[in-house]
Amino acid sequence: MKLAKLTAASVALSMAVTAYAGGTHGGGHGHGASSGEPGKASEVTRTIAVRMYDNYYEPEEISVKPGETIRFVVENKGKLVHEFNIGTPDMHEAHQKEMQMMVEHGVIQGNKLNHDMMNMDMGHGHSMKHDDPNSVLLEPGQSQEVIWKFADKGNIEFACNVPGHYQSGMYGDVTFE
Amino acid sequence: MNIRLGALLLGLMVPGLLLAGEYSLTVDRVTIDTGEFVKEGIGYNGKSPGPVLRFKEGETARISVTNNLDEMTSIHWHGLILPFDQDGVPGISFPGIKPGETFTYEFPIQQAGTYWFHSHSGFQEPDGAYGAIIIEPKEREPFRYDREYVIQLTDKHPHSGDRIMRNLKMMPDYYNRQQQTIGEFFSDASSQGFWRTLEDRLAWGSMRMMKADVEDVQGFTGLINGKGPEQNWTGLFEPGERIRLRFINSSAMTYFDIRIPGLDMTVVQADGNNVQPVTVDEFRIGVAETYDVIVRPRDHQAYTIFAESMGRSGYARATLAPEDGMEAAVPQLREPARLTMADMSGMDHGDMAGMDHSNMEDMGHSQMEGVDHSSMEGMDHSGMAGMDHGDMMMPKGGASDPFYAKGSGLLPTAANGGKFLSYADLKAQDPLYEDREPTREIELRLTGNMERYTWSINGVKYEDADPIRLKYGERVRFKFVNETMMTHPMHLHGMWSILDVGADQWNPIKHTVSVNPGTTVYIETEVDEPGQWAFHCHLSYHAAAGMFRKVIVEGGPDANQAKADVVTKEGGEV
Amino acid sequence: MSSRLSLTLCSLLSAALLPVAVHAQDMIDDTTARKQPLTTWGVQFEEFEYRYSDDDEELAAWNADFFYGTDDFKVRWLTKGEYAIEEQTYEGLENQLVGQVPISKFFDAKAGVRFDTPQGPDRTYAVLGVAGLAPQWFEIDANLYVSNEGETSAELDAEYELLLTNYWIVAVTLDATVAFSEDREIGVGKGLVSTETGIRLSYDLIDRAFSPYVGVVHERKYGDTADLAETGGGSTEDWFAVVGARIAF
Repeated sequence: MKLAKLTAASVALSMAVTAYAGGTHGGGHGHGASSGEPGKASEVTRTIAVRMYDNYYEPEEISVKPGETIRFVVENKGKLVHEFNIGTPDMHEAHQKEMQMMVEHGVIQGNKLNHDMMNMDMGHGHSMKHDDPNSVLLEPGQSQEVIWKFADKGNIEFACNVPGHYQSGMYGDVTFE
Repeated sequence: MNIRLGALLLGLMVPGLLLAGEYSLTVDRVTIDTGEFVKEGIGYNGKSPGPVLRFKEGETARISVTNNLDEMTSIHWHGLILPFDQDGVPGISFPGIKPGETFTYEFPIQQAGTYWFHSHSGFQEPDGAYGAIIIEPKEREPFRYDREYVIQLTDKHPHSGDRIMRNLKMMPDYYNRQQQTIGEFFSDASSQGFWRTLEDRLAWGSMRMMKADVEDVQGFTGLINGKGPEQNWTGLFEPGERIRLRFINSSAMTYFDIRIPGLDMTVVQADGNNVQPVTVDEFRIGVAETYDVIVRPRDHQAYTIFAESMGRSGYARATLAPEDGMEAAVPQLREPARLTMADMSGMDHGDMAGMDHSNMEDMGHSQMEGVDHSSMEGMDHSGMAGMDHGDMMMPKGGASDPFYAKGSGLLPTAANGGKFLSYADLKAQDPLYEDREPTREIELRLTGNMERYTWSINGVKYEDADPIRLKYGERVRFKFVNETMMTHPMHLHGMWSILDVGADQWNPIKHTVSVNPGTTVYIETEVDEPGQWAFHCHLSYHAAAGMFRKVIVEGGPDANQAKADVVTKEGGEV
Repeated sequence: MSSRLSLTLCSLLSAALLPVAVHAQDMIDDTTARKQPLTTWGVQFEEFEYRYSDDDEELAAWNADFFYGTDDFKVRWLTKGEYAIEEQTYEGLENQLVGQVPISKFFDAKAGVRFDTPQGPDRTYAVLGVAGLAPQWFEIDANLYVSNEGETSAELDAEYELLLTNYWIVAVTLDATVAFSEDREIGVGKGLVSTETGIRLSYDLIDRAFSPYVGVVHERKYGDTADLAETGGGSTEDWFAVVGARIAF
């Protein structure tokens, strides 16, 4: 049982990485220019470890310099699926609707992700891949990196948009130094 | 002894300082003013509701209770896991507290969350003997909030509990003012057709059942934290703050549908236990249940907390406001709920021969849209490639809920058309128990006779019943089959009810589980507390009429052994 | 020192003995009221009224019952009477004391005695009856009587309530008596004896405790009973306007 889960998790991990490498924006996750843009590894100035618990982050606040590129090493240390997503509150709100759909369609199932569903063609060129460069969606135990170049200023939060998680407080502020 | 002396000295040095987890309560005759009527009642420390008792997980609660009444009393700590002789049920846990006596409860606090306490003697609880319990967890909570309020509901009735019980026994419809009238017959006849309406009335008449049997005891004033709708209890906030509302339904008989127009609510706890957060527009709180929700009012405006009774015969109302005195619109009560034949499906159909069932189902006022949710649940999602997205969208607003009979007239829908919480949405945040196969199943048919106002389990009232015997260490699966037309909030004392919502290890744990008419609900219980416990419907007058059992847990480490050990240690220091 | 030792010894001893002892003691038996059959009582005046007949006769009339007991057994005292206000006599006065047990989901059986003590000869009856709720919400009370004179009769009471609103209620009542043998002395002939039909419009003023009403009552005697009444100079048919209150407490 546990072994099976582990295997599933590692498969999931490799798939998630693949999906990330694909880097398509086909999921329709709108992210405005205000939050920044995907960063280049060569421009990374700092690495910040972000641990995701049920249902909160450590740390709960991050301070960056305008235009800084940061490598986030995100680890899910909880028992449920969590997301690390950089965006404005409006972007998060829009994304929550998509995530709600992912739950309703069985893509997010509490503590695991259904990758078959994620990759399924929903028609009209849509899928429920969770592959935007400003975010990662992790099962318990998974770890992944996000390299992000922040914009100059803006009302930016990092948040988990798994339904209910943001509302129960799983987000943190990005403050600009 | 030395420690005690030290504590005593410390206590003397800092006047008024109580040790952590220590409370003194007096049980008093009090005056209750609902804004609509004033009545004599029973309260704690001179007030009803009593004080909010706060504890920290891990500490020892020591609560002395002084009975200032001229009758026996008791306090039951609803939902707390504790040694059975501290559970406060006269005749099961202990003999009770005599007039003039002080009884000191002492038990370890081994859980966190929102709970409540109430008298378990006679009808003292409906008469006002209840209060809230808040337990802070040892560890960080899986949610954040800036402030918190207890929202404790009750259905305060101008009549005393004794009188209500007597009236119900004399005339079971004594308090029902939502019965079907001639006018309703004609309005139904014009919308449904005369013959169909007549057929419907005859079908119900042949069963001698009333569609309007949703709330036994109407005529109450809904109170929130002791305040009636006009008195308008108000909680203040700063816009943008996250507020934790700890809803407790301390009603004798009334389920409430709760909404805060303009705010969505993220449910984070049910019955004191963390659940995976679920954001809803409205939820139904059964008698004795608790739900903790987080709301985030962003605007500088007042919001109404509107708690409408399930049968729509009354409501409670409170306000969240940035400044005292601000208030928001109070919604109108919706149309009274009407049972449908689906709600009768658990009953003995002997009287219903020849009736065309299918014709009846849509006769009620239910807002069913014929969406069969259940058929989607078992669907294999992986085989759905290429499906049309639009068809997949689950109906919002709880057009179906596996915890209601299909076509039930009690099926709730959100006033704003949004999401209504279902038991099916409740998933444990961090399961307390390993999932395992139950060792056996015990069927409990919830039975009764409305016309005689008798309520029972498996057709047997408590007075005639043998105890339910469980073995320490087993995991029992209880099968509740509701054969009545009323909803019963079943409360097992002392041990958690693991509610089967089909989520296996993520099934939530509760202390009170609502069983709707015409439905079967399963709970599992890890039998991990020795002693004897009460197990009953938490509707006060149903419990008193016989829907009650004693549960005896046989074997296991003797709770008294542990206590005796403590006594020995302390004795050794003398 | 020695006292301390004995104390320690004592507590050790009690520690060894206590669990069993306390266990037996603490798992108490439930002797509270909850474990006893719920005893209840009630008083109901279905009718408590002033009647004015088409013959300008004025009557005070009541029909009430008092009960005390449990689900399994109740004692019920039923009383009804008609008091002629001008004559200052009881035209009818009837008291029943019955024991009542449930026999089906909706019906009870009753057995007891009935004392009729109006103006004129008295009678005592043995009573056997059933009372309950028939399909379609008819309240039924059917009784068989055997008098101390050996005469048998039967009585059927039926009531139906029509809800104009949840407070304005029309109650229709029918009371019919049949005699299986004649009892000339009290003016009862064989066959259908009499009917009393009533219709009352009430308003629940205070809960269901006090509901004033107005109504019309029709009394009629039949067959031999009617003949007996006529020869005795009495009427065989009366119409009454009634005003009164339903009372329950």
